Amino acid sequence: MTSSDNFLKSLPYFAALNSEQIERLKKDIVELSFPRGELLFLEGEPCRGLYVVKSGQIRIFKSSPEGREQVLLIAGPGDSFNDVPVFDGGPNPASGSALKPATVYLIPKEKLLSLLADCPTGLNIIRQFARRLRQMTALVEDLSFRNVVSRLAKTLLDLAVVEGGPSPVRRLTQDEMAAMIGTVRDVVGRALRTLEKKGAIKMEGQRIIITDPKILRQLI
Amino acid sequence: MTIVIPEVDLGKCNGCGDCVELCPAGIVAVVNGKATIVRPEDCDYCTDCETFCSSGAIKCPFEIILVKDEGS
Repeated sequence: MTSSDNFLKSLPYFAALNSEQIERLKKDIVELSFPRGELLFLEGEPCRGLYVVKSGQIRIFKSSPEGREQVLLIAGPGDSFNDVPVFDGGPNPASGSALKPATVYLIPKEKLLSLLADCPTGLNIIRQFARRLRQMTALVEDLSFRNVVSRLAKTLLDLAVVEGGPSPVRRLTQDEMAAMIGTVRDVVGRALRTLEKKGAIKMEGQRIIITDPKILRQLI
Repeated sequence: MTIVIPEVDLGKCNGCGDCVELCPAGIVAVVNGKATIVRPEDCDYCTDCETFCSSGAIKCPFEIILVKDEGS
């Protein structure tokens, strides 16, 4: 076994593969090197595959429209990243750049999925986990980059349904809204009043009526 | 329109009466040791009772509704 075989066998993803399977896997793996600061991929781009750090360090981060950044992961040798889009089929949920000069293995998405071809149920379960993880990543983005009014605006837009439509109307207390956006009830009360003053919503008894969704969208 | 009033969980309510004191519309009373909305038609759903209920027995859920004639 070569050192690269041993390296691949040491990764949790491939620990169960035998030597022959490792050999087949190696044929499709691409080795890429990046100088410090260079981008590997951008958030929102189509996913090329799973990356594994051979040497160096890779920074995985989300960016806000204003240019702020939230680091999600610093990946070192043996760490994998960009797992989510490989399995849920969506775009890259975050960007990646080299924190230090780095060499990575890129395992094409199709190759990785082919390892699970014999187990469609397993693939479905992993896909579901990947979707959940993408949602959690989006939550990190909300909490990092948006203020309370903005987070509440987004939550109201996400939850609102047309009365009498096919979807049931959601009922939430201010405590529940606070828990969803990572704040406390009093702050939700003030944020609702702010949104009402801006003309985005109207509080009518137990109803929060979204009268101008455009204003809510502008706040996100 | 149907009158919607705060929901009281009688299992959690300890009959302390804080909600009676704090309700600005004066529509809550303690009946048989439990908070009860006695004049639902006067409730303006301010949620003060929910805010100050120390036993977490009162809930004021909101419906989140999108107006039908939204452009996009």
